[in-house]
Amino acid sequence: MEKISIDPITRLEGHGRIDIFLDDGGEVANAYLVIPELRGFEKFAEGRPVEEMPRITPRICGVCPEAHHIASAKACDAVYHVEVPTAGKKLRELLYSAFYVADHTVHFYILAAPDFVLGPDAPPAERNILGLIHKVGLDIGGKVIASRGKAMDIVGMLGGKTIHPVGALPGGVSKAIDEEERAQIEAWGHDLVDFGLFSLQLFKDAVLGNQAYLDMILSDTYTTPMYYMGLVDEDNKVNFYDGKVRVVDPEGNEFVKYRPEEYLDVVAEHVEPWTYLKFPYLKKVGWKGFVTGQDSGIYQATPLSRLNAADGMATPGAQEAFEAFYETLGGKPVHGTLATHWARLIELLYAAERLVELATDPGITDPHVRNIPTATPDEGVGIVEAPRGTLTHHFVTDERGIVKKANLIVGTTNNYAPISISIKKAAQAFIHKGQGITEGMLNRVEMAFRSYDPCFGCATHTLPGQMPLEVRILDTSGELVDVLRQNM
Amino acid sequence: MRTLVLGLGNPILTDDGVGIRVVRAARGCCQPGEVGFAEASVGGLRLLDVLEGYERVIIVDAIRTPGGKPGDIFWLSSSQLYASLHSGSSHDLSLAGALSLGRGLGMTLPDDDHLRILAIEVEDVLTFGEECTAAVAAAIPQAVQAILSELPLDPSILSDHGRER
Repeated sequence: MEKISIDPITRLEGHGRIDIFLDDGGEVANAYLVIPELRGFEKFAEGRPVEEMPRITPRICGVCPEAHHIASAKACDAVYHVEVPTAGKKLRELLYSAFYVADHTVHFYILAAPDFVLGPDAPPAERNILGLIHKVGLDIGGKVIASRGKAMDIVGMLGGKTIHPVGALPGGVSKAIDEEERAQIEAWGHDLVDFGLFSLQLFKDAVLGNQAYLDMILSDTYTTPMYYMGLVDEDNKVNFYDGKVRVVDPEGNEFVKYRPEEYLDVVAEHVEPWTYLKFPYLKKVGWKGFVTGQDSGIYQATPLSRLNAADGMATPGAQEAFEAFYETLGGKPVHGTLATHWARLIELLYAAERLVELATDPGITDPHVRNIPTATPDEGVGIVEAPRGTLTHHFVTDERGIVKKANLIVGTTNNYAPISISIKKAAQAFIHKGQGITEGMLNRVEMAFRSYDPCFGCATHTLPGQMPLEVRILDTSGELVDVLRQNM
Repeated sequence: MRTLVLGLGNPILTDDGVGIRVVRAARGCCQPGEVGFAEASVGGLRLLDVLEGYERVIIVDAIRTPGGKPGDIFWLSSSQLYASLHSGSSHDLSLAGALSLGRGLGMTLPDDDHLRILAIEVEDVLTFGEECTAAVAAAIPQAVQAILSELPLDPSILSDHGRER
């Protein structure tokens, strides 16, 4: 059959490449994840009315348009110095909670669960949702599709469109909900809480119930102590929509807690010659290379880091799961990268519980959902927790609200350095001189970064499906020794 | 047979939006309600949301082939899709996987014989911009014509095709 390379038809993610460099002894010396980068967003944004940003930025990424939509809307609130009415905030958070349920569902069931339920050495043709259904039963596929569908219907109801929402505007949202809509959201919300509990139970049975998997989660290969970042509310509980960004050190002590507009005081970006993507790090600790620990400014922004950076969850079921998480994994903070899958499910339950809280809030049907901006626009920063990490949108405008400068730090970019470090560690553990490289080994390296749920859709481009991955192995002189390809 | 013409791509990423531009132009040549038209910048399960309920689908998207010339147009069948698509996301299912899952769950989706992909060779999909490059933009009328010839439409209304709207 004719082989056709179809890079640009791919829709969501970048075509990732891992370069593994061997030392003179043939062992892994270094490993880097290389991805292409989209160019020119800042220039594209310049000269456009800032209120268009909540509709434009969701187009950057096919994975989490909702996160960009809300982050841009919050940045616009700040640009226009307008306070969003309480009901407007709640409706935005309601939409966002529904989005989180859908997004975390996709990641766990499509990407994470097959590794554990079918095993990391299962052939790739079986190690997917279809294999999962084959093993566990068709019912699970129905649950996944139905739950995600309800969550996305809520996004569509509140955002005006399911795929690229348009509901959030500077100063609030475009429409209130009536009692009928509220009741529908509440009913679906209860179903989603049940689904969150079901998912946690599945994780407990399939993963925690298997000592080999628990050992893998706790193994040194997948352990990288570093700084952890996450948005928290005033009680230091995890919050996806609003609050301050808290960073804890590898011991779990608070390092800094900052407001969105202070982000440039905290985060700087390092540049490497082999990639256009930048590596954010904590300015006050400094860039010390691709190393982690107390003295390295590298931090991660993931479901795991959000839990590590918080004192707990703001809803009861999620709080209970939070406590079980740390009790099982040996206390706080947890450094095991693979534990991110469990943290993601705790967040899924939190999002569903929060959705019900908001849907049953007496003020949620208040028709006053927007304050019209009247102040002169100038500059603003909006931050939300995207599923894949802290998302920062920063716009500077002239007095007419025309964008003069735009800066975005997207979720996965925060994790670029940690991902590189995790890949190197896994490659060093599984790839050795003289051993043939198996699909299972490659998958174990891939598992190191899959747990981050990396989404390079913001930084690059591509299509639906299993991530196309090329692994190049190079010797000390940079000569190509071997190339392995997956899904290409 | 319910038919959908779906443009995929990112309309603010130079040539990546060519599929969307083609579909917008094709829609302008058809009477409302004859055929469904949609556009999306997403994949995987999100695509399933768009495709559900249709028995016949034409997907229009950008493509890059080794040595390909920008503006070249290809028809791909679903068998080529399964064999060669970089079904590529670290976050979601491939289109083929999403279709298999959906069919397994009893959703109404096109079968392999009724899913075709019109792909247009592109030049730049990494730079933000609202316009296609010249060679790709020049191929849009031909792509529109190719789609319209596949649709069960009254020929008398097809006098204005090829103009992007």
